[in-house]
Amino acid sequence: MNKIKLLFVFVAMALAAPAFAAIDTIAVDVGISVFQTMPIGVVPFEEEGTIKWTNEAPHLILTRDANLSGRFEAVNSDKFDLVLFSKKRARQYVTGTATKLSNGKIKLDCYLYAAETKDVLLGESYTVKPYDVRQAVHSFFDKVVYRLFGERGVASTKLAYVSKIDGVKQVVISDYDGFSRRQITRDSSINMMPVWQKGNKGLVYVNFRKQRPNLYAITFGGKETPLFTQFKQTFSPAVNPKTGELLFSVTEGAKTELYRGDMKTGSAQKFLHLKSNQVSPSWSPFASEVLFTSDRGGSPQVYAVGKDGTDVRRITYMGHYNERASWSPDGDRIVYTSMDDGKMNIYTCALDGTDIIQLTSNAGNNEHPTWSPDGKLIAFASDRGGNYQIYIMRKDGSGVTRITNGSENTSPTWSWFFDEKKVK
Amino acid sequence: MGKVFKLALMGTAVALFAWGCSKEKPETDPQPQTAPEAPADSTLNLDALVADTLDADSLARLEAERLEAERARLEELINRIMLEDVYFDYDRSELTENAKRLLAQVAEILVNENRFIVTVEGHTDARGTEDYNISLGARRSTVVREFLIAYGVDANRLVSVSYGKERPKVQGTDETAYSKNRRAHFRVSIDQ
Repeated sequence: MNKIKLLFVFVAMALAAPAFAAIDTIAVDVGISVFQTMPIGVVPFEEEGTIKWTNEAPHLILTRDANLSGRFEAVNSDKFDLVLFSKKRARQYVTGTATKLSNGKIKLDCYLYAAETKDVLLGESYTVKPYDVRQAVHSFFDKVVYRLFGERGVASTKLAYVSKIDGVKQVVISDYDGFSRRQITRDSSINMMPVWQKGNKGLVYVNFRKQRPNLYAITFGGKETPLFTQFKQTFSPAVNPKTGELLFSVTEGAKTELYRGDMKTGSAQKFLHLKSNQVSPSWSPFASEVLFTSDRGGSPQVYAVGKDGTDVRRITYMGHYNERASWSPDGDRIVYTSMDDGKMNIYTCALDGTDIIQLTSNAGNNEHPTWSPDGKLIAFASDRGGNYQIYIMRKDGSGVTRITNGSENTSPTWSWFFDEKKVK
Repeated sequence: MGKVFKLALMGTAVALFAWGCSKEKPETDPQPQTAPEAPADSTLNLDALVADTLDADSLARLEAERLEAERARLEELINRIMLEDVYFDYDRSELTENAKRLLAQVAEILVNENRFIVTVEGHTDARGTEDYNISLGARRSTVVREFLIAYGVDANRLVSVSYGKERPKVQGTDETAYSKNRRAHFRVSIDQ
C-alpha cells in the first residue's frame, strides 16, 4: 500500500517536472554597486511534520529572491532577532509556517512583519504540491516587493534560453533563477534565438530543420507552427510588447532586411528601406520606436528608428562592433554587446549614445544581454567559467550570479510579467 | 575531429577516383570486340543461341558496369566539390584570389555536369553575435553563388543559405580555427 502511494507521488512529481530536475549553482560576485539595497530579515519557516523540500527550504528561496532582486539584501537569522535586525537596519522580515498535509500537499503561510512592532504587513497562504513550493514562494516574494515598493517584482518571471543537449542546441525555459528547467524543442537540427510571445503564450524561435534558418512559433506543450514561410531565410525575432506583432530579419541573396509581420495571418511587409543589412531589432517599452543593428557605416552599429520606419538615427559610435541592443523597460537606456579585440562585453548607454557604462570586463566573453521586465536586472551569457552559462547581474553590473551549470547555455531572453495586471 | 573527418573524406575520394579509373578501362575495351561479332553470327544453331544469350548477359553486365563507373565518376566529382571550401577574411565577404581560382575549378565541373544541384552554405567564425553572423554568412554564400553564375552555371541549380556561426568546421578559439571556419561550403545533390 505504502509502495503504491510512493509510486503515485513519484509519478505526480515526474508529471510536474516534465524534462529536468532543477539545477542550481550560485556564485555571487560582489561588485561595487550604486544600487541602494534595502536590508530585509529572513527567518526559517516553522515546520509542522517532517517536510522534504524538493530543492530548497522556503527561507532559502526567499534569500535568493531577495539577493537577486537588486532591491534587497537578505539578513539571515535562525530565529527572530531584533538586535541583529536593528544592527543591520532590517526594518522588515519574512518568515512563515509550513505544514505537511495528509494528501501530500504542503500548506505555506507566509508573512512579512515589521521588525520592531511585529505587525503583520502582509500574509499569504498557499496549499501546493511539493514541487510547486518554489513557485508559491516566488509569488509571495513578488507580493512583498509590491507591498514595500509599489512595483512588480520578477521572482515569478522566467527565462528562455538555448541549452546544448546531446550536442544539439535546444530551446529550454526555467524560472528566472535557473530552477525548474524544461526542454521545449526536440528537433535535432539547431534551435536558437528564443523570444517570448506577448502574454507569455509561447515562444518564437529559429530552427534549421530545412537546412536554413526559419522562424517557428511553439507553445509550451510543444505545438509548432512555421512562420512567414513566404521567405526562405528568417531569423532575429522581436515581439512588439503592445500588439504582439513581430519584427524579424529576412535574408534574400546577400541582403538581410527587417520585416514586420503578423503571426496569425502570416502577412509581412518590409519595415525599412535602406541599402544596408539590418538585424537584431528591439522594441521600445511602448513600441513607439525600434532599435536595430546595421552595417551601413561599414561595421555593425546600433541605430534607432520610429515605429513607422522613418527617422533613422545612429546611436553607437565608439568601437567597431556594437550589436544586439535592447531597450530597457524603463525606457531611458539601452544595453548592447560590443566586441573589442575579439572579446565581447556588455555596455549600457543613454538613448543618444552618451553616458556609456561598461558592465562586464576581464571575464571571458559576455553577450546577449536581456532586461528583466522590471528593468532592475540583466541576464546574459558568459564563458568566464570555461564554458558558456547564463548569469544575472544588476543593471549597474554588480551582483553577478551564475544561474545555470552543465553543458553550454546561451542566448537568454527574459519573459514578460506573467500577470499583465498589477499584483494584488 | 574535423581533420580526421576530412582525411577520411579525402581517402574516400582518392579511393573512388582510383576505382573509377580502373573500371573505365576494361569497359571501353570489350564493347567494340563483342558488338560486331554478334550480328555476324546469323544462322540458327545451338552455338549461336548460347552465344546470343551470353552476349545479352555480358551486355547487361557491361551496362551495369558502365552505370557503376558513371556513378563513381559523379561521386568523385561531388566529393571534390564538397572538399573545396572557399575561405574568407575576417568580417569580409569578398572573394580572395585563392578563392576565385578554386571557384573557377568548381564552376568548370558544374558547367559540364548540369544535373548537379549545389547548395552553397555560408559560415562564419565564432566571434560576434549569432544574428550578425547569419547576415555575414548570407553575404558569403551569395558572393560564391554569384561568381558561379557569372561563370556560366545555371542559377536555378544554385541555392545559397547561411548557417552563421552555428556549424564550425574546426573547434577552437584561435586564428587557426577561426580561419578554417570563415568559409563557404558546398553540398551537392543530383537532379534525377
